[in-house]
This record gives sequence, C-alpha cells and structure tokens, in this order.
Amino acid sequence: MAQGPVPSPGKKTSGFRIGGYSSYLLLVPGLAIATIFMILPLAIMTVVSFYTTAPSSTGYLKIFTAQNYIDFFTAPNTPTLLLNTFSLALIAAVICFAFGFPLAYFLTFRIKNATFKNYVITLLIVPFLIDASIRTVAWIAILGRDGIVNYALLSLGAIHSPITALLFSRNTLYIIWLQTYIVFMEFPIYLAMNRIDPDLISAAKVLKAPPHRVLYDIVFKLSLPGIICGFVFVFVSTLGDYVTPNLWAGGVQTLGLSISRYSDNFLWPYASVLSTMLLIISVIVLFISFKVVDIRKLVYE
Amino acid sequence: MECTRMKLSDIGIRAYIAILILLIYTPIILMVVLSTNTSGRISFPYEGFTTKWYNGKPSGFEYGSYISAYYDWAFWIAFQNTVYVAFAAAIMTTIIVTTVAMTLRHRIFGRNALFYIILLGFLVPGVALGLGNNILFGIMNWQFTWWIAAMLDTVYAVPFGLILMMARFDPDLMLYERAASVLRASPLSVFRRITLPLIRWEVVSAAIFGFVLAWGELIRTSFVARGTGVISTYISTQLAINPITPKWYAVGTIITGISIIALVFMGFVLSRGQK
Repeated sequence: MAQGPVPSPGKKTSGFRIGGYSSYLLLVPGLAIATIFMILPLAIMTVVSFYTTAPSSTGYLKIFTAQNYIDFFTAPNTPTLLLNTFSLALIAAVICFAFGFPLAYFLTFRIKNATFKNYVITLLIVPFLIDASIRTVAWIAILGRDGIVNYALLSLGAIHSPITALLFSRNTLYIIWLQTYIVFMEFPIYLAMNRIDPDLISAAKVLKAPPHRVLYDIVFKLSLPGIICGFVFVFVSTLGDYVTPNLWAGGVQTLGLSISRYSDNFLWPYASVLSTMLLIISVIVLFISFKVVDIRKLVYE
Repeated sequence: MECTRMKLSDIGIRAYIAILILLIYTPIILMVVLSTNTSGRISFPYEGFTTKWYNGKPSGFEYGSYISAYYDWAFWIAFQNTVYVAFAAAIMTTIIVTTVAMTLRHRIFGRNALFYIILLGFLVPGVALGLGNNILFGIMNWQFTWWIAAMLDTVYAVPFGLILMMARFDPDLMLYERAASVLRASPLSVFRRITLPLIRWEVVSAAIFGFVLAWGELIRTSFVARGTGVISTYISTQLAINPITPKWYAVGTIITGISIIALVFMGFVLSRGQK
C-alpha cells in the first residue's frame, strides 16, 4: 500500500448504516448542490434551446420552436464543426494515451521507489490545477514568434525569419492538452495496473511468452478498464474546453468555441442548441464507455 | 550481460519520464524565468534581470499590461475574490465528499444513480455547465456573486475528492464502526471517535483539492463571473484586450506558486495518511 493511492480490496462487510434513514439525510448537501448547479441548469438550457430567438431583453421569447435545431442541422459549417470537435478531442485522448500508457506501465512495474512514484504523479497533477490562461499563455515563451524554438532555429540558421504558425496550430492545442489532461489518462491506467498480479507476468515470462504478448495479453487487456476511463476523462474534458482553442487553435472552429461566441452575443437559444448537442455527444460516449467498463469499480465494489 | 541490459532499460525508463516531465514543465519554468526579463515582450534571448514586472512603481502613464503586479489593484481585488471562492469551495467540497462517501459505502437504495450524478459534475463538458448556469441565473434573476463560482467549483471538485477518499478507505473501517455501534456508541460519536480519525487525512486532502481546483478554474467560472471576477477570469479578459507582457508571467508565477505550495502540502498530507 505504500506505493500510491491504490484502492484496497474491500472486505465483504454487511451494510451497516449510521442510524437507518439518517444516512439519506447525509446526502442532502451533495444532492442539493448537484441539483441546483448541475441538473437544473442543464434542464433549463435544454428548454431554452427550443425557445424563439428575439431581440427582447432576455434575448428570446418563450415560444417553442424547432427552428433552432433545423438551423443547426442545415447550417453549412455544422459538419465541420462536429468533425473538428470530435477529432480534436479524440486525437487529444489518443496522444494522452500514447504518453500516459508507457508512463503508467513504468511507474507500476519498473519503478520500485515509492517516493519517486509519488513525486511523478504529483508533478503530473500540477499543470491541470494551475490557471488555465496562464498555462496556455506560458507556451508563447516556447512556440511564440520570439519563443525559444524560433530563437534556436534562427541562431542555427535553419530558418531566416521566425515561424509564426508554430503557435497558432492544432499541434499547439494537442501539446497544451497533453500537458493539462495527461493526469486524467495516467491515473486510471495506473490504478488498473496496480491491480494486476505481478505473478501473472512472472508466470508468463517463465513460460517463455514473448515480451509483446506479455504487454498485450496481460498488461494491456487487464488495464483496459483504466484505459477506457482515461479516454473518457480526456475526451469529455477537451470537449468542454473552449479557452485553449480560443487562444491557439489558429481559427479552428469547435462546438465549445461557438457556444462561448453565441453566448457572448446573448444568442441564448442557439448557444443552448450547440450546448445540448455537446451534452448529447458526451452522454453517448459516457453511456457506451460505462457499458463496457464498470467505473464504479474505481470507487466501490 | 543480462545485468547491463537491465540497467540500460532502467536508464531509458528514467529518461522517458524525465523528458515527459520536462515537456510539461518547460513552459512553466520559462514563465518564471521570463517574468524577470527587462524586455517588454515575451522574447528570447533573455535581456537582463529586473523585478519591475512584480513591484515596479508605476509612473502614472502605464495601463493594463504595463502596470506591475503589485500595483495592479484590480488584480488584487480578483485575488481577494479568488481566496473567498477557493476557501468556500474547499469547505463545501470537504462537507459533501465526506457525507457522500459515508453514504456510498453502504448498499443503500439508489447508490448507483447517486454515484453517477456526483460523477457527472466532472464529466459534463465545462462549457455546457457554464452556459446552463448562466441561463438559469438570468431567468431566476439571481445575482452573480462570487459564491456561485464557488458552487460550480464544488460540483467539479467533489468527484475527484470522492474517488480519492473512497479509493483509500481502510478496509476494516466499517468493522471498527460496527464494533463501536454494537457497544452502544451513538452514530455521532462513532463518526467523531472512530471514522473521522481514520479518514482525517483524506478529509484534509479533499479540502486542499477543492481549494486548488477553485484557484485555477476558468471554463465554468467564466460564464458566471461578473465585474473583476476571480483571478482566472480577470487574466483571461485582460489578455483578450491587452498585449501579453512579462507582467502576466509575473502574475502567473505568483498564482502558480500558490497552487504548487498547496499541492505540495496535499502530497505531504496524503503521505501522512499512508503510514
């Protein structure tokens, strides 16, 4: 148990309750906040998405119409918008996986020093928790017009004038998202790998299994729940992030970005339509993933 | 032969981890370095050391990006608001994580539904949640005050705190509680004397996590912040209208320093709990 926050195998104790119904009373603060600040807003947002846009004080009239959705599905840029949103989030998740899976593997099976492991995991959390604008703006020092990359290339004579496209591209977006959300990928995989019995790997090695088979059949397959959790976490987080694309995507349009644009212009019904679509996409992804993996195992059972 | 090969692969692994950490941290390190640069732009090479972006006394003609962090009064108002928001979020997160974790351990009716609802706080796209709250508060004519940001941060932080706490529960915790209650201890004293001492580090770490998350949250907050707002919204609105100077790197260094101190403290607390 010393090597990290590893869930311990829960003992089968029968359900003891703190004074019967009072345990439901304990849920009041949590459910109240979740209802008022999450369920209610999302419900109202869905309702507003059916309202008629009008130049009134609120920006809409309470007349139900499907026109917003018709507008959305017939708009010429909708397919690009959906494709951009989907592909950016998916590629970000794949990149986080490509870096996070080896890291989780090394931390679980190859690094024995518990303090070192804790340090690495803590170091991965820091970028996620620092200020979002600061985190993105910090990349100017590296990829900006006068950043370190351009400076190095110029002094090496590889280029003659600074490359400005370095900063404003999808690649910058992926790097920033990797920096921010790798912890979401890394952590569930790490937890899942910690549950793999190391004897299983030794047994496979004794029986002369080639390394790639050990990696695929044991490590990958047994940590698949963690991998899927990680994919979902990174996917939905990048779906909801409009700040980073706003600064650095180089004009790539995403659903999140359009939502913030429309809401800045007080076009609530249309912003709500986009937001509802985003919500539907994430719920579908979550639903499918949680059919495959039981996320509750992260916490109980 | 086998021995040297093992060593080589160990070096490779450590190099991989080091490169990854470096990739993640280079911008942060450069931010700290360039916040002391005399140049008025974010630029290389480094021209010379100065603390003017931190505490340079303004002559009265500077605006926005050229006023040092110390003399930027709007930043300090935002800072003060952020402290309120972060402490409120920390307190709310602690209470909710603890109460929900206490309940979710038991096979109560609706446990799965409850768990998924709590988890949604982190899985709903931030921009949708922000917009929803914005519309709701507009319709209800509720005031946009700092505690709304604290509530949104709480909704976001609770799933993390819950997973952290429940994944680390002592497997015998429920056994001890049962023993105490069989011996006629009241539910409240069971919690106070048995449960709380055993989970106290997880409770503290949930509080710190709520604090740090609220400290840097922008996506949800940007929809409900008004006026100067909190640090994250203040910086993002300032950056939209002002040039990016080392002043913002100085500001970033100050607030990142506070997050890192809080996180180091959290790491310390969690390692205490493992003993």
